[in-house]
Amino acid sequence: METAHDVLVIGAGCAGMRAAIEAFDAGVDVALLSKIHPTRSHSGAAEGGINAALGNASEDNAELHSFDTVKGSDYLADQDAVEILCTEAPGDVFQLENWGAVFSRTEDGRIAQRPFGAAGAPRTAYAADITGHVLIQVLYEQVVKRGIRVYDEFFAWKLVEDAGRCVGVIAWDLLRGGLEAIPAKTTILATGGAGRLYVGTTNAYACTGDGMAMALRSGVALKDMEMMQFHPTTLAPTGVLITEGCRGEGAFLLNSDGERFLKRYAPNAMELASRDVISRAEQTEIDEGRGTEGNVMLDLRHLGAERILERLHGTRELSMVFAGIDPIYEPIPVRPGAHYHMGGVDTDVWGRTSLEGLYAAGEVACISVHGANRLGGNALMETITFGRRSGQDAADRAFRFSAAAVPESAVRDAEGELKTILDRREGERPWAIREELASTMHENFGVFRREEQMENQGKIVAGLRERYEHVLVEDKGEVFNNDLTQALELGFLLELADCMVVSGLARKESRGAHARPYDYPERDDESFLRHTLVTWEDGRPSLDWKPVTVTKWQPAARTY
Amino acid sequence: MIVKLEIWRTDSSGHRALVPYEVDAPEWATLLDVLDLIKDRQDGSLAYRKSCRMMICGSCGMRMDGGAVLACKTRMAGIVESGRVPVVSAMGNLPIVKDLVVDMEPFWAKFRAVNPYLQPGYNVPPAGREHRISQKRMNVIGKESLCINCGCCVSECNAMDSSPEFLGPQALAKAMRFVGDPRDGAKNSRLDDLNHEHGIWECTRCYFCNERCPKGVDPRDAIAKLGAESIKEGIDRDMGAKHAKWFVTSAKTTGWLRETELVPKTQGIVESVRQMRFALGLLKVGKVPLPFPPHVAKDVRESRRLHDLLYAQDRRGYEGIVQGEPALAKLAHGHHEGERDPYGPGSFPKPYIKGEGAPA
Repeated sequence: METAHDVLVIGAGCAGMRAAIEAFDAGVDVALLSKIHPTRSHSGAAEGGINAALGNASEDNAELHSFDTVKGSDYLADQDAVEILCTEAPGDVFQLENWGAVFSRTEDGRIAQRPFGAAGAPRTAYAADITGHVLIQVLYEQVVKRGIRVYDEFFAWKLVEDAGRCVGVIAWDLLRGGLEAIPAKTTILATGGAGRLYVGTTNAYACTGDGMAMALRSGVALKDMEMMQFHPTTLAPTGVLITEGCRGEGAFLLNSDGERFLKRYAPNAMELASRDVISRAEQTEIDEGRGTEGNVMLDLRHLGAERILERLHGTRELSMVFAGIDPIYEPIPVRPGAHYHMGGVDTDVWGRTSLEGLYAAGEVACISVHGANRLGGNALMETITFGRRSGQDAADRAFRFSAAAVPESAVRDAEGELKTILDRREGERPWAIREELASTMHENFGVFRREEQMENQGKIVAGLRERYEHVLVEDKGEVFNNDLTQALELGFLLELADCMVVSGLARKESRGAHARPYDYPERDDESFLRHTLVTWEDGRPSLDWKPVTVTKWQPAARTY
Repeated sequence: MIVKLEIWRTDSSGHRALVPYEVDAPEWATLLDVLDLIKDRQDGSLAYRKSCRMMICGSCGMRMDGGAVLACKTRMAGIVESGRVPVVSAMGNLPIVKDLVVDMEPFWAKFRAVNPYLQPGYNVPPAGREHRISQKRMNVIGKESLCINCGCCVSECNAMDSSPEFLGPQALAKAMRFVGDPRDGAKNSRLDDLNHEHGIWECTRCYFCNERCPKGVDPRDAIAKLGAESIKEGIDRDMGAKHAKWFVTSAKTTGWLRETELVPKTQGIVESVRQMRFALGLLKVGKVPLPFPPHVAKDVRESRRLHDLLYAQDRRGYEGIVQGEPALAKLAHGHHEGERDPYGPGSFPKPYIKGEGAPA
């Protein structure tokens, strides 16, 4: 067993590293644990930018940012959390810059900001179209500077609970093999999202919802799991992300005719309406036969070569490699793709969960600042601000907690369970289950949702979970056995899919990413201005509700 | 399409074998997609790293036909069409853990060795605000900031192959990212550190790192910038720096490289005396021209004018080098202004808004 830490952060993307840095600076012993090296984390794939009311491009303030965020969330966000985010965001962005983040600059040398969807001011600070990459690098630099211990390529599998407290994690050591128990007084989940539930997704292979599933199995509730955001501009066939920054810089969305169709859906904001609105508009154009081979077109031609090369060079590179398209000359074919889970582990504004000593920050968490639809640029901001806050609070609690130890029985149980999986000589390889899950979720739980499709999806997931009982891991070795970890990830995904379907069926209205145009086309604040809450009971999701916190902004009609 | 390839498999005990594979893959498949098909459907024990599949996480560096690539960036259709059966293996210059997975720790140790974090001090921002820096000034480290730590440059580095302690292209590009950052207060101490054995001057200038970098970082250019900046700052004790300086002096005074003086100027008198026997041998076979009188090139004034021009324009140091390049040249992907008309015949229709008249 490893020595006990005060704070253990699982996941080393932007939220995880920011939390670890904060806890370290508070003076506690902190370690990061991640199944991939920190700089490989999917935060690095964020492109367009990070939202904070710096006021560098025009007048702006935290109140405007808060209102845009609440309206964007279709009023499902908790407004106290939103106000914290928007108030603390500017300081956090300046901190990143002071650490050395390579932001793009205004004419007078300040951090540049570009317009983004559903934002009332150019508020998105950016580094060309590789903002996430730049932030991941600067945070890792700060981790290295502090000499923070990193359990690199450790796959977290089980949270350990003892006497009503989370006391650490049991993880599989990928490079050397073997299970390790790592005790910690407080544990912060920062494992990101679960986009791999869908076949067309911007998410990395690593985004398998590990933290959500581990929390769920430890009795912690998941909130708003039906809220999966579809990003309007992803590349066929696999869903590689094309940044909203393109539209921020002025790109058009066109149907097969060349018509800027958003005039008919969001006449004022046009291409800069919120993501849920644009994804639905695109899907409608495609469904009604005005798409081109299942896509619409993102047109950058009028921006000119110079601007594209300076501010969107990453987008151009992605388009050329994955679509064979040079956006200087041709529009990019794009479609909606699964992108971001607004839902996640239910936390308060310090990242605390209902299990003592367990925290969550970043996409794995649902505080909730995004409600039913997240604004572009708010995810990176959430990772930084709430990563910092959870790191601070976890360190603070660690000072007061007694030492943690992982009970031997927990390790024995985990080893037994693992042995059962590895000893299995016959069964089904994971890939067919994984592919069926991803394609059916796309089909039945996508941009538009129908009652009968969601019900059917529930049955499909149940069937897949049954098949998963006999999943076969072919690699029986110790060293770099990611055949094993990929099978375990699939187990996580299946349980999360179940939670999503149950939550989706319960929300009998249309709100943000949860669009039911065929049976419940309207938002119903009377019945559903509240969060869905799912816990795991007897191997099944059990549904509950939680009120939404409203501070300043009463729900109003939402148009763009 | 049917994709054939061979993979160098290495098990945990170090046993190696070249194994042929054949899979039916979609037209758009990348090398990474093909490896996934093999792992899922043929052999679950095949080990390789992957994550983002969009050229930003840096996980899937490996070798194809002896050169480092990102598996997710490598489209297979062209290779299949050519009939070539590529050989896939682990990256070079790093210990193999299993199959296509290498131990990255030596790579990260080099990364850590260059103190890869901003050391504030030179330029202090107003409290609670950002530093004020022009975009032009930040562009100095534009390419270095693109590095995704994939290891492709290190895999192909010839200097590291013969001198494993050499800091190498990745760590040096990272060093340049801070040396060139106007916010960093430790430029000269960084340059001092890099001017020792296994530092910048150990690079053999083979340019394989530039060639193989999948992101256009151009590590060799970063190393050149570090060298230029060192000399500009008077950090020139290292033999490599002396060597470079003598090249300049020699070119300015005679228009030639005076090799007989290169050794004493670079390595000092004592070492030159030691090399005497070797030099005499070269002299005997006519490989060394007589040092006196110095041979001056006919058009030496051209060479002197170039030298003076660089000084007059203050194009010494890293900024001078950057000014000589088209901005973000590598990222331009060979873009040429006016290559074709984006709205010309056969192109996608011009955008229009319904009810607002015909397409403009």
